[in-house]
Amino acid sequence: MSAAPSSRPLSPLVTGLLLVGAFIMLAPMLWTLLLSFKSNAALMADSGAAFAPPYTLENYRAIFAGSLTTRWLLNSLIVSTGATLGVLVLSSLAGYGFARLEFPFRRTLFVIVLLGLAVPEQAVILPRHQLFAMAGLHNSYPGLILPSLTGSFGVFFMTQYFRAIPRDLDEAALLDGASRFTLFWKVLLPLTIPAQATLGVFTFLASWNDYWWPLISATTSDYFTLTVGLASAQMNYAQTSGLGFLMAQAVFASIPILIVYIAFQKQIVRAMAGTAVR
Amino acid sequence: MKGVLLLVLAALLAGCAPADKRPEIVIQRFFGECGAVYGESIDVASAETECGILTTLINRFKAENPDINVKVNVVAWPGYPQLAAQLAAGDPPDLVTMHQSVISDYSGRGLIEPVDGLLEQAGIEPADFTPAARAGVVKNGRLYAMPWDTIGRLFHINTDLMAQAGLMRGGKPVLPRSPQELLAHARQFKAATGKPYLIQAQVSAPDFHVALLYTYLLAQDVEIFPDARRIRLDTPEAREIVTLLRQLNEERLTTRNQDFPAATASFIQGEGGIFPVGTWMLGAYEAEAAREGSPLSGSYAVAPFPQLWGEPSAFVDGHAWVVPVAERTPAERAAIARFLAFLARYNYDWSRTGQLPAFAGVIGTEAFRQLPHRTDIAALARIGEQLPDYVERQGAVQGLVGEELEAAISGAKPVGEALADAERRVNRLYAQML
Repeated sequence: MSAAPSSRPLSPLVTGLLLVGAFIMLAPMLWTLLLSFKSNAALMADSGAAFAPPYTLENYRAIFAGSLTTRWLLNSLIVSTGATLGVLVLSSLAGYGFARLEFPFRRTLFVIVLLGLAVPEQAVILPRHQLFAMAGLHNSYPGLILPSLTGSFGVFFMTQYFRAIPRDLDEAALLDGASRFTLFWKVLLPLTIPAQATLGVFTFLASWNDYWWPLISATTSDYFTLTVGLASAQMNYAQTSGLGFLMAQAVFASIPILIVYIAFQKQIVRAMAGTAVR
Repeated sequence: MKGVLLLVLAALLAGCAPADKRPEIVIQRFFGECGAVYGESIDVASAETECGILTTLINRFKAENPDINVKVNVVAWPGYPQLAAQLAAGDPPDLVTMHQSVISDYSGRGLIEPVDGLLEQAGIEPADFTPAARAGVVKNGRLYAMPWDTIGRLFHINTDLMAQAGLMRGGKPVLPRSPQELLAHARQFKAATGKPYLIQAQVSAPDFHVALLYTYLLAQDVEIFPDARRIRLDTPEAREIVTLLRQLNEERLTTRNQDFPAATASFIQGEGGIFPVGTWMLGAYEAEAAREGSPLSGSYAVAPFPQLWGEPSAFVDGHAWVVPVAERTPAERAAIARFLAFLARYNYDWSRTGQLPAFAGVIGTEAFRQLPHRTDIAALARIGEQLPDYVERQGAVQGLVGEELEAAISGAKPVGEALADAERRVNRLYAQML
């Protein structure tokens, strides 16, 4: 049971501290935004020029004029959506299995899944790359999506959520003649929607922001995701002679993420507060 | 539904299209993507910037060679993680842009092939290259790349401030000829202008001081790398160089606590006399000097590092074209050779970026000499030196040495201790290397 939010107004001191905290969090983003509207030449002479007009849209024009930018945006959408759907399907099925079904080596397998949480991506990158090369999967959408599906976090997360659902529901449904799949599909899965939303948002964000795997798996620009594509579009010494363009790229790449945050902020806050599995 | 069927049919028909029988070459390059501006351009002479010129060159090659299927991968700077992945996957591109200082990492492992034969096929002789460019691509006695340019550090100079300090003679800046004279000039400059003599990027720029240190060690013929797995830095010569840099810092004869963008802005704003930075900034500063109202307007000059110790020398690097090892047909090899020959013909256009051309013939041309300041810096192609051809992991080594130099020059560590630590850390890196 969750406590009702307090209606007592915050003290001026707390409000003031929160405002200062919010400003500290927002200042770098606002600074980035202002820099993105300044010409590269003006910023090369003085990065403090960001705080005074004139402002320009030339950096954004340069992004949209890029011959492959829309392609990279589409690639990111395909890869992130594919990874999200895949993770949701596999994690739900696996979570249900670990939480509800009895099968040989269930505990051992679950421990192996948990161990996966402790293995960093860098540790498996070489064998994975070789494996995908042998399978001819580089420079393809499956090659970009499949590694995301092997994450342990989703399985662990969904297993915990299924475990929190009372078993009485299973027994009632089975007594009514429901099959195992019907029980999963029609009774339990709808109850996991808050967890699915949380897992979906996190998977989408992680996939969208992923740089390392697309960098080495997608070597032809047709398969670059937005993160890799924008990096490839940078000139040398971009931090000096192309600062405005660099900042516009950062703003542009974060817009879809911002939309996802705004659309799913309730789920994200719940997940951060650790209440999504209760 | 009908639309979907049509799409499927179109996809099937596309799949049934006859295979392209032309020899294919895959060119992988950095320098950014600028297809929006130069995607269709084939007019090399009117292209600007590294990205613009290279994009236009490749477009032109495609247009002039319709019998070759040219594919281009534009990779995020510097592109080496992708190349390593492609090599591991057994699917490398055919031509790759590579820094000359990186070539040893690949040639030593047999990952790129010697290009002597391809260059011969392209009608290019090793003698065509400048001494600096040739030294950058010869590894273990073989040519492992076609050099494309030479990049090095220069003294970018604000001549207006130098004149105020009485350090101009005959319209040219007066540069020091010894460490003592450098200190004297710096003090004179500060007394006259109230500004620091040097502008330096001393934060998050580990290669900045390393370039100065290497230059003046090479000038004295000091053996920095006695063998492939060992650096020697804790030497009297290195101590003297680093002590000078530390003294400049202590006497505030240089800007402090600036990263590269901040130092660049300081130079453009006229906040100091000399910015020792690379050839690649020449175009940007020249443009600023030509802009009316700029603090740098009409008061910009450039020169190689002054000779403070030993013989004239400059630590340089360069860009080059390498060919990863792979099975190729004679037609594909001929296509690669044709591309290299094509690039060689346009080496002058590349030198418009500010980098020095790799082909000696270009340096002697009137067109090159007419480019701003090129006669002032052409000496780099002759005096430019690189580390011995067996030295690998040069970027990582620069990072480690640079950190220790920053500590020494800022006063956080005694000079001797920092150099000894740099030596120990680099040698440990080499000891761990496979």
